[in-house]
Amino acid sequence: MSERRTLDVSGLPPYEISNQAPLFWGQVLMCLIEGTLLCMLIATYFYLRLGIDVWPGPGVHPPGLTLSSWALIPLVASCVGSYLASEAAKKDSRSGMLLGMGLNLSLAVIFLVLRALDWNSLNFTWASDAHGSIVWTILFLHSYDIVADILMTAVLIVIVASGRYGPRQRIGVHVDSVLWYFLVGIWIPLYGVVYWAPRLIGASR
Amino acid sequence: MTPAATEPHVYADLDVLRQTWSSKPGLFGWLSSINHQEIGRRYILTAFIFLLLGGFEALLMRLQLAKPENTFLSAGRYNQVFTLHGTTMMFLFAVPVMEGMGIYLVPLMVGTRNVAFPRLNAFGYWMYLAGGLFLYGCAFFNMVPDAGWFSYPPLSGPQFSPGKGVDAWAQMITFTEISALCVAVELVVTILRMRAPGMSLNRIPMFCWSMLVQSFMIIFAMPAVMIASTVFLLNDRTLGTHFVNPAEGGNPLLYQHVFWFFGHPEVYIIFLPALGMVSSILETHTRRQIFGYPALVLSLVGNGLIAFGLWVHHMFATGLPQIGEAYFTATSMMIAITSGVQIFCWLATLWSGRLRVTTAVHFVFGFIFIFVMGGMTGVMLASIPLDLQAHDTFFVVAHFHYVLIGGALFPLFGGFHYWFPKFTGRMIDERLGRLSFWLLFVGFNATFFPMHWLGMLGMTRRVYTYVPGLGWDRANMAATIGAFIILLGGLIFIANALRSRGSGARAENDPWEGSTLEWEAGSPPAPYNFPNLPVVTSRTALWTPVAERSIVVGLREDRREILISNVLDAEPHHRSVQPRPSLWPLLTAFGFSIGLAGSIFAFFWYYVASVLGMIGLIGWFWPNRPLEVDP
Repeated sequence: MSERRTLDVSGLPPYEISNQAPLFWGQVLMCLIEGTLLCMLIATYFYLRLGIDVWPGPGVHPPGLTLSSWALIPLVASCVGSYLASEAAKKDSRSGMLLGMGLNLSLAVIFLVLRALDWNSLNFTWASDAHGSIVWTILFLHSYDIVADILMTAVLIVIVASGRYGPRQRIGVHVDSVLWYFLVGIWIPLYGVVYWAPRLIGASR
Repeated sequence: MTPAATEPHVYADLDVLRQTWSSKPGLFGWLSSINHQEIGRRYILTAFIFLLLGGFEALLMRLQLAKPENTFLSAGRYNQVFTLHGTTMMFLFAVPVMEGMGIYLVPLMVGTRNVAFPRLNAFGYWMYLAGGLFLYGCAFFNMVPDAGWFSYPPLSGPQFSPGKGVDAWAQMITFTEISALCVAVELVVTILRMRAPGMSLNRIPMFCWSMLVQSFMIIFAMPAVMIASTVFLLNDRTLGTHFVNPAEGGNPLLYQHVFWFFGHPEVYIIFLPALGMVSSILETHTRRQIFGYPALVLSLVGNGLIAFGLWVHHMFATGLPQIGEAYFTATSMMIAITSGVQIFCWLATLWSGRLRVTTAVHFVFGFIFIFVMGGMTGVMLASIPLDLQAHDTFFVVAHFHYVLIGGALFPLFGGFHYWFPKFTGRMIDERLGRLSFWLLFVGFNATFFPMHWLGMLGMTRRVYTYVPGLGWDRANMAATIGAFIILLGGLIFIANALRSRGSGARAENDPWEGSTLEWEAGSPPAPYNFPNLPVVTSRTALWTPVAERSIVVGLREDRREILISNVLDAEPHHRSVQPRPSLWPLLTAFGFSIGLAGSIFAFFWYYVASVLGMIGLIGWFWPNRPLEVDP
């Protein structure tokens, strides 16, 4: 090979634990996909609402406000844990990551318990009517995502606690937090739709 | 960072690079491969096999319709055949083949070593393969869908479509959409963050722009079809939800809205990569920079945006409010502007370039001719009065075959001939290539042009036979003869590809004197693509004299290291180490597939999918040694 002009990149860092990492971009795109899916469900909710006189139908109680609203507190607070974990991942602080993820995990589990109690108090199922179908679908899909992320966090806690981790796993901790912010953020409009919409636009047209 | 002047430096050690980037040998290596060239080739090959199946189904339909009151297929069988034909062509051929071309070409064109998430790439392929096998596997057990490729309820609902065929259709969608979404995510990140230094946004090859826009479209469109097919249709059928059941507050039109919110962008998802191929072929073969690059890019982006505002034109006959219909007429006509701009840019490129006429260029000319005709009937159908007359007739069948075959298949075949030397290291035979082009072109028009007439004479879609004396006989016979001419053209194309692959003339790295980086890599490229990653100084990277081009040094060769650059100007930002080959993507796809396939029988199987999938993902991400990434 003849002499070529060169660009030496050996001085660049060999990895990056920040929003510049490719994995972060991949995670954001995955959130975009899941967000599109959940937004379509919101559209579905209102489309179905338009076609019915009384929403929800006679004899169906709107989903309860008490537990679902209290549950927002641990849910939002759990983001603090995610933030601590992702900052600790950037600084490579093992104890910080464990503390952050542990906090996140405990609050997320509290949220999940409240969600389960609330869900259990519904007096309709997916097969009751169209309102039941869409509400159960929203709750199921969001809970599914929450459970999946909780399991992912648990696995990361095991990996970090074992000490068998490197930069790739630290990036994993960071993007796990990003996913959690998304799941918390998307729940706010979904909560509004599931719990407030029947009260605000539920009466007959 | 500016290139240093010529100074002592270390060029790549090719033996070490090859060892680092090669897949493992043997069957295990084949199953665990995460190389984008191998995965891309598998996508293309698998998609072509589904093209043959879909084409076979088309021939069955044409045989049945060749003469009035034919008894070759029964009414029920005919329904199954047209459903399989549409489903196969849209979900198992057209999208995956474009994805395959993107997976193979994009990393080469942007000058990197692999896609951003190689294991996700392998996982996506296995999901696609599983989805195709699932649909055709179900067909063997007589669980054949028969409610059309868009499976409208109430026809596809539990009342009118008993059996498991529609369920299989609905869940097959999930497989293929997961696959498409995986590819979309990795291509977006590859194009935005892994470009060669210097390849700023205004230097990205047109094909990569088209894949970028297409990938974003997939991200926003595909979730809708999963909602329509799985949440609405499958759950209504198997769980007793009431999304599309009017008796309990549901609405069948909801399904149509959500399906077409995906379905219209889907057409552009298939068609945009083809536009990118046309631009690539023309730039190289006219030996001039493509005319109107900014206009072309903006048109692609415009196409992508407008595509999401058109879906209701598939529903003009459903009695929606007129103000809404008027809006969708306007947007449907608007798409002609962005498409027209591109056609004019290509004409200007042809006009002012020095054209070299190869088989690939033949296919581009075929594309322009056929696609413009399909576009014009499209503008006609955007007008509501005409649409109401032509709705569900063969006029519509003619229109969308002109747009899809003309707009996507002809450029794809052109691209296949153009990049054949890159794929195989051999030149494809030009004489046979042209022969196959002319047969396909004549056969295509003989098949589909008469369908315009049939539609205007009132022949509706999806009828399995017709009575004599309606004036439909001759046009139907012509269409059937045309279909066999297409078959002949297709067989010659396959024979040519196989023959040239075995004994074609050896191809140089750059047989066409192309402008984009893939032509600098070997033919076929080595597993690491480029010994040293290139640095780009112009839009037509390879037409810059070698003396003015730099190469990247300083990437480690003993591990899978790549360069991450920033979005706008592709300045090098950091290095990143990619994972090694793994069996876990295959195992994860296998776990998901078992669960998803079972889910058409009982909801319980979703939990199986989740547990097996989770086990797979844990194995996938479990830390491998070495854990540390040293500088």
